[in-house]
Amino acid sequence: MRDLPRSLELLALARELLLDELVPLLPPDRRRDAHLIATVMAITSREASAREGWQQEIVELVGEFYETLGSFPSAPGDEERDCLTRFAADLRNGAFETSPSRAAAARAILWRLTIEKLREGNPHFLAANGVGDANDNRPIVAASEREQ
Amino acid sequence: MPRSEAGLGDRQFALAEFLKEASGADAVEITRLELLNGGAIQENWGVDVSVDGGRLAGQQRLVLRTDAATGVPSSLGRIEEFAVLEAAFAAGVTVPEPLFAGADKAVLGKPFFVMRRIAGSAAGRPITLDPALEATRPAIAERLGRELGRLQTIRPPRDDLTFLSPDPGPAGQIAEFRAYLDGHSNPRPVLEWALRWAETHLPEPLPSVLCHRDFRTGNYLVDGTRLTAILDWEFAGWGDPDEDIGWLCCKGWRFGRLDREAGGIAKRAHFYRGYEEESGRRLDPDRVRFWEIIANIRWAVIAMQQSDRYLIGGARSLSTAITGRRATECELELLMLLDPDGVVAYA
Repeated sequence: MRDLPRSLELLALARELLLDELVPLLPPDRRRDAHLIATVMAITSREASAREGWQQEIVELVGEFYETLGSFPSAPGDEERDCLTRFAADLRNGAFETSPSRAAAARAILWRLTIEKLREGNPHFLAANGVGDANDNRPIVAASEREQ
Repeated sequence: MPRSEAGLGDRQFALAEFLKEASGADAVEITRLELLNGGAIQENWGVDVSVDGGRLAGQQRLVLRTDAATGVPSSLGRIEEFAVLEAAFAAGVTVPEPLFAGADKAVLGKPFFVMRRIAGSAAGRPITLDPALEATRPAIAERLGRELGRLQTIRPPRDDLTFLSPDPGPAGQIAEFRAYLDGHSNPRPVLEWALRWAETHLPEPLPSVLCHRDFRTGNYLVDGTRLTAILDWEFAGWGDPDEDIGWLCCKGWRFGRLDREAGGIAKRAHFYRGYEEESGRRLDPDRVRFWEIIANIRWAVIAMQQSDRYLIGGARSLSTAITGRRATECELELLMLLDPDGVVAYA
């Protein structure tokens, strides 16, 4: 129903215009602000492209983790926040430390959660740390290497 | 009125009168007033003055430091920060000379202090990336170590610093971080996991010293190839001697040079050497690592507090609002420090 080009394509073009043509015209003390805007545009694009997929996967991972312990993180129908709230509280209390396998499984979830958040928020930082690919197959990221 | 004068422009007369009285001058004329870059929590104003008589007679370049519209909970007030700056100056730390504090809100509407303006830039990326600094970065790192050693000669009790809270120790800091997380809307499992590690690996305590608590690249001035001043003392307090060391080496302050573990400018060895020679204390890598873990947790919490200034405090600043997202960078670093095999296993 919507007209083309899609909003994400327009966003990518707008970002290129900002970085390639407008930033050079700005006084030096305002260029950082423009790059900040470009970063926000990139994050917005990545989050819109990813939708809620990875967040649901994290919720399912935590759910499966608790199932292997014989308990459930929350009542059916509860949302992501409740699931992570219990997980965080249990980590605070050292609930998984007596079992190396549980501790490792908990750490695996922490890694997954962190990497997924950074894939959207700052893939360049992930790549600089040897994790993932800065370009990450997502449209806006490839448009420029200049975000933070 | 140019953008640079917005905010203090209508207070110039009151400021000139204050400077006249404080310096014992016959007359003070403000010849230039500009809002300086940086200072997310404080405002820094460049103030050029022409002074007739008194202790500042002549043309002077000064900096006035006052509160921004919204702050973060853990920062000192400007009058307290001025007292810390005076103590550091007297101890021989390279800081701008503190001149006058203005507690009377009748002058600017909020407390402030005035110090001498020092040449140089604190911008992080030029300091870590400018090829012209390549040969001198190790010397700057060593100098930073010496500055820190000098700072740590300031120890409690001090009559001039009675407003500083007692050293909370790492357990106290952990409790503060958890209290913050308890009041935050989004759960942070990685921070909780790292705090648990810290809680179960507390180091043996050392006698408290004055900590800068934001001792890092981005908070010192470099002019040419010379370090000219340590800035931004708003978070200073009594703490562990290794706290500032862990903070400077924290990955969040390497500005594009993650491989240079001392503030993005050099290997740790250079920084450590300066510190050890000045302080006479040998560093324990395990203690430094502990404080680096705490540094990453603390930076994550500060980043989230910055976004709170938008989410809760109403600050309409993109830079402030987006800073909270950097907390996840700290969480990645915590995972890499505490579960180094995980990057291969899970990433």
